[in-house]
Amino acid sequence: MTEPKIRFDKVSKRYGSLTVLDRLDFEVDEGEVVTIIGPSGSGKTTVLRVLMTLEGVQDGVIWVSGEPLNKMQSKNGMVPANKAHIRRIRSRIGMVFQNFNLFPHMTALDNCIEAPIQSLGLSKAEAVERAEELLAMVGLAEKRDQYPSQLSGGQQQRVAIARALAMRPEIILFDEPTSALDPEMVGEVLSVIRALAAEHSYTILLVTHQMGFAREISDRVCFFDGGKIVEQGLPNELFGNPQNSRLQQFLSKVLEAR
Amino acid sequence: MDWQWDFTFEVVLPRLWEAAGITVYATVVSFAFALVGGLILMLLKMSSFKPVSFVASEVIEFIRGTPLLIQIFFLFFVLPQVNITLPPLTTGILAIAIYNSALTAEVYRAGLQAVPRGQWEAAIALNLSTYRTFRKIIIPQSLPPIIPALGNYLVAIFKETPLLSFVAVGEIMHASKLIGSEYYRFNEAVTLAGIFFLVMSLVAAALVRATENYVKRSILH
Repeated sequence: MTEPKIRFDKVSKRYGSLTVLDRLDFEVDEGEVVTIIGPSGSGKTTVLRVLMTLEGVQDGVIWVSGEPLNKMQSKNGMVPANKAHIRRIRSRIGMVFQNFNLFPHMTALDNCIEAPIQSLGLSKAEAVERAEELLAMVGLAEKRDQYPSQLSGGQQQRVAIARALAMRPEIILFDEPTSALDPEMVGEVLSVIRALAAEHSYTILLVTHQMGFAREISDRVCFFDGGKIVEQGLPNELFGNPQNSRLQQFLSKVLEAR
Repeated sequence: MDWQWDFTFEVVLPRLWEAAGITVYATVVSFAFALVGGLILMLLKMSSFKPVSFVASEVIEFIRGTPLLIQIFFLFFVLPQVNITLPPLTTGILAIAIYNSALTAEVYRAGLQAVPRGQWEAAIALNLSTYRTFRKIIIPQSLPPIIPALGNYLVAIFKETPLLSFVAVGEIMHASKLIGSEYYRFNEAVTLAGIFFLVMSLVAAALVRATENYVKRSILH
């Protein structure tokens, strides 16, 4: 058996007395497209945030390609990871945020070349060439010199996807990538994600409320509730024949709302 | 009002002109020190090491909570007792710089906190180093709100310099008081000192506005 790309080993995350992740065990294979659904406060976004090291965890180990992310090996066994270790493992992961988080003082192109030049050590010419390819891939080649404020929400999110890809991640995390968008712009962003998912060269972890989309692109769907995976399976099984009562309730609510 | 033009031109103007140089010098030097001092105090206050950040916040509170004139007197009369004897002008500049460091520290902090959390998170997700994150992402976005606020302190410091006349620094207020007591004529000297401050404040305000526009244009497209 090959090592999973991502593995959560009894990971717990608490804010004060509130438990957000409760001894979570969770695995994602290389090239797999996994969607996380669940009610708000179920811990689904937290899974992405602790993977991206935006937040720490209290217990457990997160493994990326067989290497621990929040811990590191030393001669005394596992110790909390230092900055250099975290940076090294983290470089395999990219993230697309709900609110895009583009750098407002940089053009679309500059947004996509800043980190590759600084963190990957590419020359400016290499970084520009790669960024132009990626902007073309998300259909925004001609917007390279525009600032985020001059772009629509959908265009900003597509630039943000190009920016994340420019760092050549193996894993891409999408945190509700269409939740902040006007309805008419959701489609353009979803079609970019759809193309990435179809390639299967990236391991993709997606948190979304777009149930139809989750069903269409996912290899597996996980339903989170109370910081745990309550039910998971193939999209057609999970949406078509949900077993758990909380999942049934959740699905009837979201599908009703549409 | 009794106003003598020949006295104004022959006695008052030359002496005030000389003193104006000291006023401008004291302003510029204390402002420069306050810019750096504020940055240091802010970094200490934001330190993740609790005792350091606690002491820094208390120091800032203390400095902000006492009048500048008392701080000037304190440095002027207390430092010599611990065998630190500085010229009055240096003491005065030091006092103004320390006082305004506490104020500019808050300006820097507010500027940094105005940058949304998401910008920090994007920098982490892109694996940028802390240095790069500050240099390329955070500082460029905090400058536009910081610069006009710092500019206000430049003008404020300028108007605080007459306090130095209390410790006999030969700035413009002190010079006009001396002229007044030497000739028993206050009208010309005090009026000209007031006009000088008005003109210089207007000039400084214009400079601050120009800097602000320049930064906005060059950093935020």
